[in-house]
Amino acid sequence: MSNAIASSGPTATAGRSGLWTRILRYRASYLWLVPTFLMLFIFNYYPAGSALYHSLFQWNGANVKIFVGLSNFAEMWNDRLWWESFRNLIVLTLALVLINLTFPLGAAAMIFHLWNLRMAYLYRVLLVVPMVVPGLVILMIWKFIYSPNIGLLNQTLSLIGLDALQRPWLGDFQLALYAIIFVGFPWVAGIGTLIYLAGFQAIPSELLDSAVIDGASTRQRFLHVEMPMVLSQIKLVVILTVINAFQNFTIILVMTGGGPGTKTLVPGLHLYRTAMAYNRMGYACAIGTVLFVLILLLTYLNHRYLRSSVEFTGA
Amino acid sequence: MIARQRTLHHDWPIHTVLGVLAVLTFFPFVFLLVSSFRSTVAFTHTFWGLPTEPELANYRDAWRVISPYLLNSFIVSGISTLGVLGIASISSFIFARFRFPGREFLFMAILALLMIPSILTLIPAFLLIKELNLINTYWALILPYIAGGQVFAIFILRSFIASLPEELFEAARLDGASNFQMFQHIALPLSKPMLITVAIMNVLATWNDYIWPLVTIPSQEFWTISLGIVSFGSQYGGLERWGPMFAGYVIASVPLIILFTLTMRYFIAGLTSGAIKA
Repeated sequence: MSNAIASSGPTATAGRSGLWTRILRYRASYLWLVPTFLMLFIFNYYPAGSALYHSLFQWNGANVKIFVGLSNFAEMWNDRLWWESFRNLIVLTLALVLINLTFPLGAAAMIFHLWNLRMAYLYRVLLVVPMVVPGLVILMIWKFIYSPNIGLLNQTLSLIGLDALQRPWLGDFQLALYAIIFVGFPWVAGIGTLIYLAGFQAIPSELLDSAVIDGASTRQRFLHVEMPMVLSQIKLVVILTVINAFQNFTIILVMTGGGPGTKTLVPGLHLYRTAMAYNRMGYACAIGTVLFVLILLLTYLNHRYLRSSVEFTGA
Repeated sequence: MIARQRTLHHDWPIHTVLGVLAVLTFFPFVFLLVSSFRSTVAFTHTFWGLPTEPELANYRDAWRVISPYLLNSFIVSGISTLGVLGIASISSFIFARFRFPGREFLFMAILALLMIPSILTLIPAFLLIKELNLINTYWALILPYIAGGQVFAIFILRSFIASLPEELFEAARLDGASNFQMFQHIALPLSKPMLITVAIMNVLATWNDYIWPLVTIPSQEFWTISLGIVSFGSQYGGLERWGPMFAGYVIASVPLIILFTLTMRYFIAGLTSGAIKA
């Protein structure tokens, strides 16, 4: 305890004292942390523990609570809605990861390559503006774009004489899921672009300069110098996209409600309905537990796999 | 900056591509703004043109419906953001500047929560709010928002406060400052940029939240703006009253746009650090 800052009590003279004495000496520190931990226990640790625990029960949230072991998970295995929602989730996740690896990365690279820095700054500000519009407003705008009669998409098709292509986009069994994926097109005004851009800007300029002196073309410089340097940003964007796709069902709930049929149902919405409409809290907790484990697993794989590729390019 | 000068003599190919992307991105917003001044009668005939005479009644109608939701969101986002700043700044100060036994363990216990997805806790947290009789109150939103918001706030504030030079605190201690005085007069003022970033992140997250208020606030009287937007949209959209519907969306967007123009520098920092949270 030579570090004087460590003294929170009036006497900082105690040298090697017992653990208890030390704890007592810092009692003020612990006291100041009470609000934080009180809040966390009530609203974070307890619900998380409760979800894992109750995944083993048949539970209506009130008077019925029967221990059923793993049978909620066994039921999921045979639940047609779960598997359909899971299939949709895989399609959505793959599409969103692919989108986030191309459009925002391309936009960020182009902005970074601009010679005129004032223009680069202007584009960066422009990219942020749509992110300031409330998320629900953006979803409702897209709902309008897709709406069958007066919608912007169908009206545009009519304007250019392609009336034959008009669809009730969100009500179309084949297209609804793809219409959801297409929301936000061209997908450049988002966090992804900002993260990539921050990555590009952090590349030491000596590195870029030496590449040029060695005679690298713009394309070579991009592929062999810049891309490896933003790999950790790519990793971050991928995992953020996956986590978001796995747990965010606002877009589905607002735009299609999972329909038509179950064509856009996702596990999050299935969980929500199971709990709120059917009062099957235990089963909902089991779905939540599976999603939690899958997210942990994917985070781990992303960390493992992409880290080793960084080491590979570094070697 | 040799690289920039040697390899790129002109920007125009990039400007072309970025320009197209910008037009595609902004077209729906421009369309929304223009259409918010279109009268319901003229909506279909003047779909692509500018409205002949701006229908300001759209805004009057929309304001009447939207304003109570805006007020609720102001209250909820405001109080929960102040709560996060208050609790998180004190805890961050303690974690950053005191070496009490169990410090690392307690800090890891907070960080571990970053790995818990909200979808896991949604149902038990809802049942807890019900148990506490908080359904249909501002507290059903404010308390969980403070609890959840402080996790990431502590994560970034702690490392910032820990990076402040020790000499500052040493000098204050020699002058007889108490721990709380050091918090109030050294740590807090120096952390101002970080506090603003944390505040913006929290306003954004709470303003845009939809599922949690949907679950805990059945009564329209306490609805936040997100719930209001969706109900308003389906109600007016169903009646094909597109003008007032779009005017309502514009009104709902104004507060965040004002916040953005006032704090642009911190906003970008907040968004990128907010991303690391999820």
